[in-house]
Amino acid sequence: MPKIWVLRGLKKGVLTSRFPRAKPTSEEIPEHALPPVPTPQADWSAGEKECPTDAIRSEEKIIDMGLCVYCRRCSSAGFSFDEGAGGSSRALQASVTAHGKAGKPVFGRSLHVMMIDVGSCNACNLEVLNLSNPYYDLTRLGISFTNSPKHADALIVVGALNRAMVDVLRRTYESMPEPKLVVSVGACAISGGVFRGSEGFASPVQDVIPVDVTVPGCPPSPVQIIEGLLLATGRLKKETAP
Amino acid sequence: MTPGDLLPGLLFGTLATLGVGSALGLASKKAAYLLGVIGSALGAVLSLITLVYGGTASIDLWHFTPTSSAQLQLSQFNSYFLLISSLVWLGTCLYSVGYDDDYPRSLSSLMLLTILSMVFVLVSGDAITFLMGWESMTISSFFMILEGKGEREGVRNAAYLFLAFGEGSSVFIMLAFSGLFSTVGTFDFLGPAAARVVSPLGSWIFVTALVGFGLKMGLAPFHMSEWLPIAHSSAPSNASALLSATLTLMGVYGIMNIVSHLGQFELWWGWLALAVGGVSALLGALFSSVSEHSKGLPAYSTIENNGMIVVAIGSYMVASYYNLALLADFALVAALFHAFSHSISKGSLFLVNGWVSKLKGSFDLGSPNPLPGGGRSLGIAGIFTVLSLAAVPPLAGFVSEWMILEVLFQSFRFGDLTSQIVGTLVGAMVALAAGIIVVSMTKVFGFGILWPRKSGTAQGAGGIRDGLSVRGSFAYFFALIAGVGVAAPGVFLLASDAASQTLGANPFGTFVTGLLGVPSPFVILSGSPFGGFSPTFTAVAFLLILLVVLLSAGAIGIHPLRLGLRIRRTQGWSAGRAQPDDATELYNSFGYSTPIRIMLRFLFRTKESVVKVGAVQRTVVRSPDEYVVDLEVLDVFKKFYDVLAKWTLWLSAYTSRKVMPGKLGLYLIYIMAAFIFVLIYILLTAG
Amino acid sequence: MDSRRVERRNVESLGDAIQLSSVFRAGGHTYALLSDMGAHKTVLSELPPTLGEEFGPLLKGGEAPAGTPLELDVGGKVEGYGVFEFPYGPVSWGVPEAGGFKLVTYGERVVKVIPQVNFKKRGVERSVVGRTPQDALLIIERSAGNFSASYSTCFLTAVEDYLGSEVPLKARWTRAAAIELERICNHLHVFGRLAETASQNIAASQANALRERVLRLNSKHFGHRYLFGFNTVGGVRPDLSREECKELSTAVRLIAREFSELVAYFLSSRIFLDRLQGTARLERGDALSLGAVGPAARGSGLLWDDRLTCPIDPYEDIYVNVETDAGEDTMARTMVRVREIESSTIVLREILDRMPGGGVKSGNRPKQQRDGDVLDDLALCRIESPSGDLIQVVQLDMQGRVSNLHVRPASLVNWLPFARSLESNVFTDFQFAFESFGLSYADSDR
Repeated sequence: MPKIWVLRGLKKGVLTSRFPRAKPTSEEIPEHALPPVPTPQADWSAGEKECPTDAIRSEEKIIDMGLCVYCRRCSSAGFSFDEGAGGSSRALQASVTAHGKAGKPVFGRSLHVMMIDVGSCNACNLEVLNLSNPYYDLTRLGISFTNSPKHADALIVVGALNRAMVDVLRRTYESMPEPKLVVSVGACAISGGVFRGSEGFASPVQDVIPVDVTVPGCPPSPVQIIEGLLLATGRLKKETAP
Repeated sequence: MTPGDLLPGLLFGTLATLGVGSALGLASKKAAYLLGVIGSALGAVLSLITLVYGGTASIDLWHFTPTSSAQLQLSQFNSYFLLISSLVWLGTCLYSVGYDDDYPRSLSSLMLLTILSMVFVLVSGDAITFLMGWESMTISSFFMILEGKGEREGVRNAAYLFLAFGEGSSVFIMLAFSGLFSTVGTFDFLGPAAARVVSPLGSWIFVTALVGFGLKMGLAPFHMSEWLPIAHSSAPSNASALLSATLTLMGVYGIMNIVSHLGQFELWWGWLALAVGGVSALLGALFSSVSEHSKGLPAYSTIENNGMIVVAIGSYMVASYYNLALLADFALVAALFHAFSHSISKGSLFLVNGWVSKLKGSFDLGSPNPLPGGGRSLGIAGIFTVLSLAAVPPLAGFVSEWMILEVLFQSFRFGDLTSQIVGTLVGAMVALAAGIIVVSMTKVFGFGILWPRKSGTAQGAGGIRDGLSVRGSFAYFFALIAGVGVAAPGVFLLASDAASQTLGANPFGTFVTGLLGVPSPFVILSGSPFGGFSPTFTAVAFLLILLVVLLSAGAIGIHPLRLGLRIRRTQGWSAGRAQPDDATELYNSFGYSTPIRIMLRFLFRTKESVVKVGAVQRTVVRSPDEYVVDLEVLDVFKKFYDVLAKWTLWLSAYTSRKVMPGKLGLYLIYIMAAFIFVLIYILLTAG
Repeated sequence: MDSRRVERRNVESLGDAIQLSSVFRAGGHTYALLSDMGAHKTVLSELPPTLGEEFGPLLKGGEAPAGTPLELDVGGKVEGYGVFEFPYGPVSWGVPEAGGFKLVTYGERVVKVIPQVNFKKRGVERSVVGRTPQDALLIIERSAGNFSASYSTCFLTAVEDYLGSEVPLKARWTRAAAIELERICNHLHVFGRLAETASQNIAASQANALRERVLRLNSKHFGHRYLFGFNTVGGVRPDLSREECKELSTAVRLIAREFSELVAYFLSSRIFLDRLQGTARLERGDALSLGAVGPAARGSGLLWDDRLTCPIDPYEDIYVNVETDAGEDTMARTMVRVREIESSTIVLREILDRMPGGGVKSGNRPKQQRDGDVLDDLALCRIESPSGDLIQVVQLDMQGRVSNLHVRPASLVNWLPFARSLESNVFTDFQFAFESFGLSYADSDR
């Protein structure tokens, strides 16, 4: 029997997610992407002690999602990771945050995105690459990847910004034409994550270039990254963080 | 008094100015070059008058046999070539005023002498004067090549090779002339009045003439004669322009002159010309695309263009054979037109490249030395020159290449299948050559002029500045190249005038007309009609579109000249790295054409080797100490000539020892002195 | 580390089939860790301190400061007309990571490759010093996200050996299952990247879709798509029930079956194969002397797989079919990976079928004194990560905190074989060679 790739492709049918038209399924928002929620019995100071990245601040009683690496150590201090407490949409609600000028619909329904890795462990990096696999298929949303900043509308930054990459990141950002958006993906890009104290870490990405949307997670799921991109272009509405 | 009466005076003026200039060169270079400018200008005026008023002038010098006289003749045919040459000489001499500051004074003298000899070649009406001019042209060029700045041995070899080819060419031309003489019984067979010859020796005459003049034009398989002397000697750039743009033009003139005096063509002559031309065009283009020498590359491009001219001549002959008058006419005009556009573009390219080499201090195209900033005139002349040679409309080169391709497209009109097949195959070769030459031209401009650049200073190595004369010559060539394109109908008219002597009627009206709202005479039609193009209209349309864009930008409140864009300066994107400042990190011209070298290894006989030296076991890993890379291309014909040269050198050494003890150089100087003496004698007695 | 598998030998008494695996400093001494490829043994040699300097990139890779890129240039200079250095990266789509190369070339033909690493060096080894193993684990498993299970298992095995603590059998088996899942996932990734590079978009999409399914299995059964946090000191988090094992086993079988169909298509696609066959040959001798590991070494006919040659616990009980291929080219490396997906599936299903019962966490505190299993105060573990042999050497202080860590990732040593294999190939083969070696900057820079 002749082996014809196209026929094989057709035979496999449609695998693609219905997000953002429908809510993401529990498979699309994996367990590890669910953020911690303080239960009424939560012991904030114990949580702060457990937390390896100082995401939990007992004085203000807040969880800084940009620092959280979803390690779940705080569950012993009464923080809940239950899916029952809101499920997948909670993961989206709690995490993706827009800053500054994001959300203005300047790009219409077409967006060219470039990814730059400034020191990731590859998990965030691979999740961004996964956006083009048949399950998430970014092109159905009019978003496509490009490999030159000169063609890019938006920049996805992943990884703990390394000292060797600071100038590179700045150069990349400067090479992009206006208007431009920056989406920083993953705890490492937002705050340094577990690498905050390591010798290669320079600074959070937003200290070097302006960031429009942050997508926390370690790593965030592909659906959350899609949401970040849609939020940045104003195709999805959400309250802007103060 | 009619304009025709001015001609003898102007001709003597031209010859005298050039002669005096040549002598003056021994005292002052600048004066010599300035006289060169004046002499060329006189020549241009003279030839324009002849062309426009259609007059002919004949000046008998003396009778050396009862039936033959030494005579200078001016006709529309040879003055067309004189016009082209004069235009190139004018620019070259102008350029030399500023360029030539580090060559010996003899260079200016020799240049003017070469120009003077070429004038003699063009205006001679008889074989004897022609050959005298031809010899003196070869010998003075030989000395010019000896002025080259390359490594001594290479320069000497190159110069002698040039001489060998030049003398070979003379021998074949003499053979052709002897054939003509034996038929008509006189040496006066080159002028416009000479009758067409129907000779049983026709094939002999044509083939020897094709070889003789082909040697000068650098046609395959004699293309060594063109690129090697120029490239290997790294000859002075102004001399190279002279050699490549006008010396080869003398070959074109010669072959066309002989063809126009032959009464009847055999079919296979046309095929031969087509085949030789097609192969030369393709070979020239291919070798030019892999050349790394700022002289060698344009020299190869000359081979390509001369090949195209010979293709047009061949088409003319085949079409004439089949009595396709319309096609034959168009082919002949195409050949003449292409000679025009090629010569001016090539002259310009050598001067531009010469200036770049001077600024960079290297004849190497891949030289990592950056060019200083600024140099607007160089840039503008450079871009228009390479665009013309790459045949981009509406410039000079495009018009004539389009015409040649139109002729080949119509090879289906040829009378039998074999001719049609030959025409089609040659058409494919020419089209391929025209495509490949774009690679060379982008290389010349990209790696020569555009990049790498030093920011800031407008000075070259050692504080070289482009003076008024150099900038003037660039502006002059830019105007010529753009002008020939835009005013193509005018040049077409001149070429038609020149062709009318051969064709018996002026074909201008047949091919130049108006069409689709473009007024007459701004459309050039090929055939009856086959295709059409209006360079003028294209140029106007380009400008109009630009104007519309600018005006509409202005209409929405944007400054038209800045295009309304906020100018944002960023660095080039180099994968996140800072712009490389180290020359070894730059992509170079060699790398640019290496894929061609590798892909066409069967043609270039590419030898590629990476030798790993000292692959020793180090403590941890086994790694070479050094990699020695070598990638060489070989012109296969060079091998043959190397052997030939060896034999010739041995033979000449033997002869000079046994037969003619003496120095070759002295002997040549003696010949030249004799020639100058004869010239002066002629000038004095002719009045 | 189980010292019984490690011999001590002097540098002078080494044979021919010895491959240098790693050089590290601990407690003022310099050690060389070698693989005896003939006897399938690990050899540890102490080096005179001065000798260590000569080990160049291998040593510097770990010791070089973070924040400065490092060029792994071991060959001599290149001479010849028209030679230039073509910079590649650190930002490029071909290698979507922060890392670069200098390709020394005269256009098209690659003469020499100089990998530039440490663009993303975070300094994992130094930043875990002084942390408890549990805290250090957070950083270790995020050193190379795609090899996370191998990293955490390697680290924990070394630590547990050092401390001599008991680890429940089921925990060890679960770890092995995670490593095999990770291997399948990564090999699918490499296959997808190769297909993408050859513009075989349907093949790429399908391989990526299969990979996404493995990621979802990871997430469902181990709590994380990239297996972060499933490992803890002395055990593992997920307690796989018999039903779960069965479910996972079935799911993996389906994926493997679909992949073998895909492979049948791949093997009939002439255009695809043409790009791989004969590309970037790594000769066996070079693979040995340059220290290639993993599928890169096995693609050059070297038989070295840690699961066979220095197995950690469950692998001693399991039949592991080590795939080798003598083809030496990109095709050989690809086929090694393709077949390893199949053999890993078999191994994984055997692990799941025979998953022992009992708990997954050691109840009692680890014993503080050692059993004498540890050599020279060092604990060492070798794990076959998807790209090859991963080595970690651990030392703890009296408080049970990490006092010394040496990581020798597979990617670091594979740079030089990769660079060598690309010599005299053309630019366009670069991507194929890169992907087939499975190189990762996150892994090598750590």
